[in-house]
Amino acid sequence: MLPSLHASVTDTCLHLEIAGTWRLQTFKQIPRNAIPNATSSVVVDGSALTYLDTSGAWALLRLLHEAGIAVDTPNYLNFSPTHSAILDLVRQNFSASLADTAQTQRSLLAQLGRLVSTGVQRAHGLLAFVGVLSVEMLQLLRAPHRFRLREFTNQVEVVLVYAVPLAFAMMFLLGLVFSYLLGIQAKQFGANIFVVDGAALAVCRELAPVIVAILVAGRSGAAITAQLGTMKVYEEVDAISILGLSPYSVLVIPRILALLIALPLLVFVGDVAGLLGSMLVAAHQLDITPISFINRLDQVLDTKTVLIGLLKAPVFAIFIGVIACYMGLNVAKDARSIGVNTTATVVQSIVVVILLNAIFAILLVELDL
Amino acid sequence: MADDTLIAVDNIVTRFGANTIHDGVSMSVRRGEVVALIGGSGTGKSVLLKEIIGLLRPTLGSVTLFGESVWQVNDAALRALRQRFGMLFQDGALFSSINVARNVATPLFEHTHLSTADCLQLAQLKLALAGLPPSAANKMPNALSGGMRKRVALARALALDPELLFLDEPTSGLDPISARAFDHLIRTLADNLGLTVLLVTHDLDTLLSIIDRVIVLSNGKVLGSGTVAEIKQIDDDWLQAYFAARANTEK
Repeated sequence: MLPSLHASVTDTCLHLEIAGTWRLQTFKQIPRNAIPNATSSVVVDGSALTYLDTSGAWALLRLLHEAGIAVDTPNYLNFSPTHSAILDLVRQNFSASLADTAQTQRSLLAQLGRLVSTGVQRAHGLLAFVGVLSVEMLQLLRAPHRFRLREFTNQVEVVLVYAVPLAFAMMFLLGLVFSYLLGIQAKQFGANIFVVDGAALAVCRELAPVIVAILVAGRSGAAITAQLGTMKVYEEVDAISILGLSPYSVLVIPRILALLIALPLLVFVGDVAGLLGSMLVAAHQLDITPISFINRLDQVLDTKTVLIGLLKAPVFAIFIGVIACYMGLNVAKDARSIGVNTTATVVQSIVVVILLNAIFAILLVELDL
Repeated sequence: MADDTLIAVDNIVTRFGANTIHDGVSMSVRRGEVVALIGGSGTGKSVLLKEIIGLLRPTLGSVTLFGESVWQVNDAALRALRQRFGMLFQDGALFSSINVARNVATPLFEHTHLSTADCLQLAQLKLALAGLPPSAANKMPNALSGGMRKRVALARALALDPELLFLDEPTSGLDPISARAFDHLIRTLADNLGLTVLLVTHDLDTLLSIIDRVIVLSNGKVLGSGTVAEIKQIDDDWLQAYFAARANTEK
């Protein structure tokens, strides 16, 4: 039965008769603005009420409130004991429900200030993190037996061994596509053999280090942040500290060192895979046999080029490792924060890798390398 | 009489691999009762609760809520059924990405067609009913103490004005004073709103203060059901040790 309200005014008394089902499911059908403004005493009669829940009771009190009648003044008559109990409970809490808790909109300046302040705090935190990490590393040099070999080898397995097939497949396809597109151009000038020069330079010096670093940032960086973040939320990191161990030497250093070892090796895998992809295209599209491909490679690919590619990798690795561990150890105690920080790790790592690579490129040209 | 039974659990058997948790559990809860489910660790109290609310399928047996079989109705009917009861999870299970008021208003947003303003004001009412000050509404869940989390979770469980409330260890992790206050709150709400409550607990004080009836689980079966005084008479090692623990501390 629909909720209804009937108002009648007698002499000095406003008589309100409510009937039907007053509950959440019928909330929308509850009549609004049905109460005339009253200057006299008010009587609310609940004898015809069939169902009342807290939402219905609240709606009734709001009607009274909007008509300028304080909710405690009316005489509530003929309510059943159950309805009366609900009504009383809601009436006691009615004023609290109307409290204005609308969030104040922050001004543009305040938002900007907050943004700058968080940025400075982040930078400060990262600097402190790197400082503590360096000290812990030096201490580890003095007492090498404290190094967590098992954790380190586990991490190498996860970061390096399991990533080999992926790195190989990615760089193989990339080398293939790169040489194919280069070959189409080179063929027009009869400069087929120069595809080897281009592919060797591009793969070893730029493509393999950057692509593999991005792969590792997305794969291992995200994993490290999520894992350390979850450990932090479950107070495992605190437990490690309380046992007299350092979370840095137990968790952070093995991970960063594992990345440091893994990334150059993965870049080497990438080099080989990219050149193999290129070799395949050369054989089928450009009539360069694998033998002549390798001969040409021997002539044009300097050790220097390969070394530059391989030496960029540890630098990328340190930045990825530091960002991932810092973000992991700085999650707040909730599920959302782990997601936010994991995303931040991947985004920041990739940006840093590309930025560093650009710096390397300019630096190496300036140094005539 | 039959119309009065809100929860009927019939011959539940639960096995995880070779591990038998329940071996023929039957129980029922009538409208208006506040019932506690107790038992030692690992006797499957929380598992039984999950089977009743349709989160975990029992190996055998049936569960009936409001006269409808939880494990036989279709998805739509189960969703409709779920709007008729509220559940308080052990750690609150608040959504960490939205503030307290929106946490409580979420069921209203999803299941009613009310305006956002109405939903938020009803959420404020539920927060007040759960004994929280209006200033709590804009806080994020990670800024709350354990006791406040439980109260917010209770407010969310009450959002749709359910007839039935499930509580999983409502006082665990609270200090004794907050725990007693929370017990009192549950009883007040149950009495005033006409709620039926089924709660899982280890807390003897809860048992002694607000419970109409106790159901004891042991060795995969219901060991007994009755008032606390009746349960105390049962000759069982675990039960005797359970009540003796209280007697010892009072000496």
